[in-house]
Amino acid sequence: MTSSPPSPADRVCPLVKRESLGGAYALLTFEHAGVAGASAGQFAMIQPEAQGDLLLRRPFSIMDTDPSTSRFTIFLKAVGPGSKAVFDLREGDNARVLGPLGRGFTAPAPGERAFLVGGGYGVAPFALFSRGLREAGSAFHLFYGGRSASELPLVGELERRGIPLTLSTDDGTRGERGRVTVPLMDALSLVPGTPRLYACGPEPMMRAVAEISSEKRLACEVSLDPWMGCGLGTCLGCVVKIQDEGEPRPKNRPACTEGPVFDARRVVWEKHS
Amino acid sequence: MTAPSLGVEIGSLKLRNPLLAASGTCGYGVEIAHVVDLATLGGIVTKGLYMAARDGCEAPRIAETPAGLLNAIGLQGVGIRAFVDRVLPRLREHDTAVIVNVCGETVEEYAEVARIASDAPGVHALEINISCPNVKTGGIAFGTDPLMTRDVVGAVRKASALPVIPKLSPNVTDITVFARACEEAGADAISCVNTFLGLAIDVETRKPRLAFGTGGLSGPAIRPLAVRMTWQAARAVKIPIIGIGGIASASDALEFFIAGASAVQVGTMNFSRPNIYAEIESGLVDYLTRHHIGSIRDLVGTIRYPR
Ligand SMILES: Cc1cc2nc3c(=O)[nH]c(=O)nc-3n(C[C@H](O)[C@H](O)[C@H](O)COP(=O)(O)O)c2cc1C
Repeated sequence: MTSSPPSPADRVCPLVKRESLGGAYALLTFEHAGVAGASAGQFAMIQPEAQGDLLLRRPFSIMDTDPSTSRFTIFLKAVGPGSKAVFDLREGDNARVLGPLGRGFTAPAPGERAFLVGGGYGVAPFALFSRGLREAGSAFHLFYGGRSASELPLVGELERRGIPLTLSTDDGTRGERGRVTVPLMDALSLVPGTPRLYACGPEPMMRAVAEISSEKRLACEVSLDPWMGCGLGTCLGCVVKIQDEGEPRPKNRPACTEGPVFDARRVVWEKHS
Repeated sequence: MTAPSLGVEIGSLKLRNPLLAASGTCGYGVEIAHVVDLATLGGIVTKGLYMAARDGCEAPRIAETPAGLLNAIGLQGVGIRAFVDRVLPRLREHDTAVIVNVCGETVEEYAEVARIASDAPGVHALEINISCPNVKTGGIAFGTDPLMTRDVVGAVRKASALPVIPKLSPNVTDITVFARACEEAGADAISCVNTFLGLAIDVETRKPRLAFGTGGLSGPAIRPLAVRMTWQAARAVKIPIIGIGGIASASDALEFFIAGASAVQVGTMNFSRPNIYAEIESGLVDYLTRHHIGSIRDLVGTIRYPR
């Protein structure tokens, strides 16, 4: 987790494994030596090699890597035509994969506890992050929330990895009923010290976690998910409003190269759609 | 038989091959240099530059449409001085032609940006952006009034000894009027074209999909429109035309050469296929070889159009 990630490579590479998780969810594993060296929170831009009339690649968080076999895995929800095209890939099909891209999560300091808050498909990077935290011997816990049980498709995978997990659903069909921030608050009142918060998921959820972090004066990183065009910082389509110290006003900064992970204190939430 | 030649000349600008990366789709070149070998391109056209840094439009700024991309970025950029001082030294390390996309809110600003760019070592030509649809002042206003086009091109001509290449807007009734205005004002070549004004609506919210409202349409969706305008402009003037619009393959690029373009730019496809240049270049070589044409220059304007 401490070594600097490789610079991005653009390659046509095969889908070596596809595992359906029911509904619009799947785990896809590709062979791409570069992305297999990604750090947690980084992403890849992916499109099928036979893409048809869809032009842009879509960004996907790296859920897991295996540098020894040059493989990486994404956790995908088919939401629009671009992600659906990737979802529809079959084993052996080729995809264009550019990565690893972006700035990932900052590791906690030695002895510092990490609370990871994942909503919906935003939980993906926390699988890879958990592995690094465990290797570093950091105490951590993952809070995974969704609208209902069917929207927590990664539970089995996370349990198999033995990740300490608290589940919650808005409708109470799995885990605690209510927002993911409720069990987070409970846990914060129990643990000593100042845990570091990490959030990835729907914007209202990340914003709520960011507010908790500012009230409790905890360090917090959020992984933003705006519409992205290129992943290289050239189209400037994915800008987010970032307020830096000493700057008179917030600036539009590309999430693909300056993020997607940002210190929550720098994020100006109002303007995001 | 020796390999066909891809070298072209745009005024005094010599390009190793006729493939350029279009403004706004390759940053300032340095951002893509770790993914694309810039020496495989004839050159790059920078993101549009004003005197001052600009923060651009609110997000969302891009929306994908069938075979196209609608954008309203609003010319976010570092400003010409920061480009010259901080970016150009890094860009100069790469063996590729650098064309600066010059913007302004007034004729004077265009001339001033042009003068600063021309004085900087390592800038090879100026493209004058009189066609951005996504800013409230300047931009497209200069490219949709022939007198304003003439004035701004004339002012930049006076301010610079580099090749001056106005970039035309397709959002006009008769592009030949604007091509001639550029030629008369002393342009060395013409870039043809910028994006088409468009509007995409989210029917659930009934709001535009872009925060700015309207945007500029690019990508393969506009190619036949851009080829037609390239053909019209090429017949109207003697200066070279640089064809732009929806190029995604060698065959797409060939359409522009045959229609009358002396060079082409690839825009939107840089986002999803940053390494497209090698593929286009080898496709051009194959085509020229197969048709026993010694140089890409001999293909320019050879359309067999029924009279
Ligand atoms: C995201 C985006 C940003 C652009 N920015 C500029 C710009 O700064 N200056 C300019 O002259 N043209 C700009 N353009 C227009 C392109 O250079 C090009 O003329 C247009 O996209 C058509 O070519 P294409 O279909 O290959 O993309 C931009 C286009 C896109 C898609």
